[in-house]
Amino acid sequence: MTILLVFAYILLILIGAFLLYMAFKTDDRRYIYAAVAFYVIFPVIVTLKLPITTSPEVKQLYDAVEALPDSSTVMLTFDYYPSTLAETEPMSHAALHHLFRKDCKVITMTTIPLGGPSIAERVTRKLAEEYNKVYGIDFVNLGYKANYVAVLKGMGTSIETIYPTDNSGTRLSEIPMMENIENYSDIDFIFVVADNSIVDYWISIVNAQYNNPVGTGVTAVMAPRYFAYISSGQMTGMLGGMKGAAEYETLLNKPAAANMGMTSQSLVHLFIIFSVIAGNIIFLTSKKGRDGKRT
Amino acid sequence: MKTTVPVIAAFLSGFVMLLAFFFNPETSFLGRLEPEVLSWVTIVGGFTLLLGVVSIIRVNYSSVKRKSSGWGYKLATLVSIFAMAIPAIFPVRWSSLFGTGTGSIYDWLFNYIDSPMMSTMFAMLAFYIASAAFRAFRARNAEATLLLITATLVMLWRVPMGEALLQGIHGNLPNLINTYIMNGANMAVQRGIIIGAALGAAAMSLRIMLGIERTYMGK
Amino acid sequence: MSLVEYIQIWVIAFVTLSLFSFLYRDNPFYKLSEHIFAGLSAGYYFGLIWHAVILQQMIDPMFDNGKWWLFIPGILGVLMFSRFSRKYSWISRLSLAFVMGNTAGIFLLSELHGKVLPQMQSTMLSLGFENGLGSFLLALIVVVGVISTLTYFYFSKEHKGLLGGVARIGIWFIMISFGAHFGYTVMARISLLIGRVQFLYFDWIGSIINLFS
Repeated sequence: MTILLVFAYILLILIGAFLLYMAFKTDDRRYIYAAVAFYVIFPVIVTLKLPITTSPEVKQLYDAVEALPDSSTVMLTFDYYPSTLAETEPMSHAALHHLFRKDCKVITMTTIPLGGPSIAERVTRKLAEEYNKVYGIDFVNLGYKANYVAVLKGMGTSIETIYPTDNSGTRLSEIPMMENIENYSDIDFIFVVADNSIVDYWISIVNAQYNNPVGTGVTAVMAPRYFAYISSGQMTGMLGGMKGAAEYETLLNKPAAANMGMTSQSLVHLFIIFSVIAGNIIFLTSKKGRDGKRT
Repeated sequence: MKTTVPVIAAFLSGFVMLLAFFFNPETSFLGRLEPEVLSWVTIVGGFTLLLGVVSIIRVNYSSVKRKSSGWGYKLATLVSIFAMAIPAIFPVRWSSLFGTGTGSIYDWLFNYIDSPMMSTMFAMLAFYIASAAFRAFRARNAEATLLLITATLVMLWRVPMGEALLQGIHGNLPNLINTYIMNGANMAVQRGIIIGAALGAAAMSLRIMLGIERTYMGK
Repeated sequence: MSLVEYIQIWVIAFVTLSLFSFLYRDNPFYKLSEHIFAGLSAGYYFGLIWHAVILQQMIDPMFDNGKWWLFIPGILGVLMFSRFSRKYSWISRLSLAFVMGNTAGIFLLSELHGKVLPQMQSTMLSLGFENGLGSFLLALIVVVGVISTLTYFYFSKEHKGLLGGVARIGIWFIMISFGAHFGYTVMARISLLIGRVQFLYFDWIGSIINLFS
């Protein structure tokens, strides 16, 4: 098996090098596309489980949710577009596994008009079925309301004024779970899963003014920005991209889509590093590179 | 009048929010007024989103009417808009296919056509970034070289294979990258950007409230 | 698997592959998919606003809960559509001003209270050796990094002398941060592609295998 693996990796490197060489020779970027496609598809077919180490930010978030008393009320947000489902949906899945396992009451909502309510409905119902959770008693989907700044601020005083009904039109006063929940002071933790800068407003409006602990799962594009909030204590942990989701899945002992994607991620990263180095070697050794001219 | 009344409205609308910050929301009148005003803002904000829909219908309709180049595709856009919108506005009690709930036409079109399309469009960026990395990412000067080296280290650190490689070089290297690059230099820069942007946003907000900034009103 | 499930998977696979076909060459399948996507997204907005705003926030509370005053924001919302008329577009200014002023009022305090003050407070770190060399080094990097970054983005004075020197240090820190950003961005984009490939392999090809097995 080890010999086969070594042979497979040598083959992978040779294929990558060949495609890069063809891309350079013919100046056709489709060879690079082919290489990327190959490095993504190959590990999906020939699966290889890689050990996932946990970063401190993910552990912090996991510990914070784990420390919540069972039956706590948690607000889980679906602040992401369908375009980033591959990164953010595994985070939502993992969060719901964690929250339902602890019998937490989950209030879901979204500030994203394009798809947010539908994604929240689909993902929550699917996981709720797995844990035999009942809508209206164990979880509620508030849906979407326009102007996220007003929504975030308004829920600090009265959730019912901003959301007179849930996503399906049932009045909040008729939902048993929402009977004793008036505003943020009745919510123990806010788990924001987002792919845009809405996280900044959850921190600056909700955490700063109402002191609710806020943990986040964000796409890898957003993640570097939020180290500043973790360092200042305004954010309680962060899942950064698919790797963050994979780490959270590992901590929960529920490896799923994110874990499966790590091998593909590894190979493509190595290929891109290789292509950057190769591109720079060609540039520096070429006449234009030596003259300091742009290619 | 056409500008003065909106400027006064902007000031009053913002001033209520400012004052409400300092008053008890449960006992004071301003505190109780705040969520009501905010719910009005969310309602008006909803209509703003519809502006975009009306605009796209107008643009595509005029293209179809003139039979301009590619009008067939514009017709497909119009058909898609109405295929999604019309079943959504009919009451659910007429049929479970209507409305926006699970199992409706609206829900089906979103989950099985719109959402995968959006995911795929962004997935294509993976190819473009790989192509850009090979063709354009050059170490032309010291700063670009530093950027390249940091990017390489982070790309390695963020994947299991790369992390194992870094640990092979030095056992503590992944932790050092996390501590001194991500939680050190990167965090410092992001903090500076956050502070700068927040000061700018606060200044702009003051300008809007005082009526100095009026570009949002248009001509 | 039921017939409906097969149709659903094949519809998703068709639109996915139509869009991916652009990587080879622009073609009618891609163009058609692109336009359908734009239309469905616009239609989604309409259905959402009709239910979430017009019915749930306005009409139902007005008629069921007696909150008749909610017609006022409704009128303000309708006034927004005057933007389509060149002659009467000024009417929409009132609605815009109401929303913008409100948001400005919230931002004025939240940006300072929620971002500037906590971030500045966290930058005031002890530059001593009481917690070890590593801690000192990290604190130094953070303090120098924040100050030099803010200095770099200060454009009211020319970057010369001491200011220029500090700004230069800022550029080095910014390059490190942008490098980290690039690394994370590559990861993000690849993850999205992995998601689509996982669907195509496990769900679509899986359904074909299921059909023949």
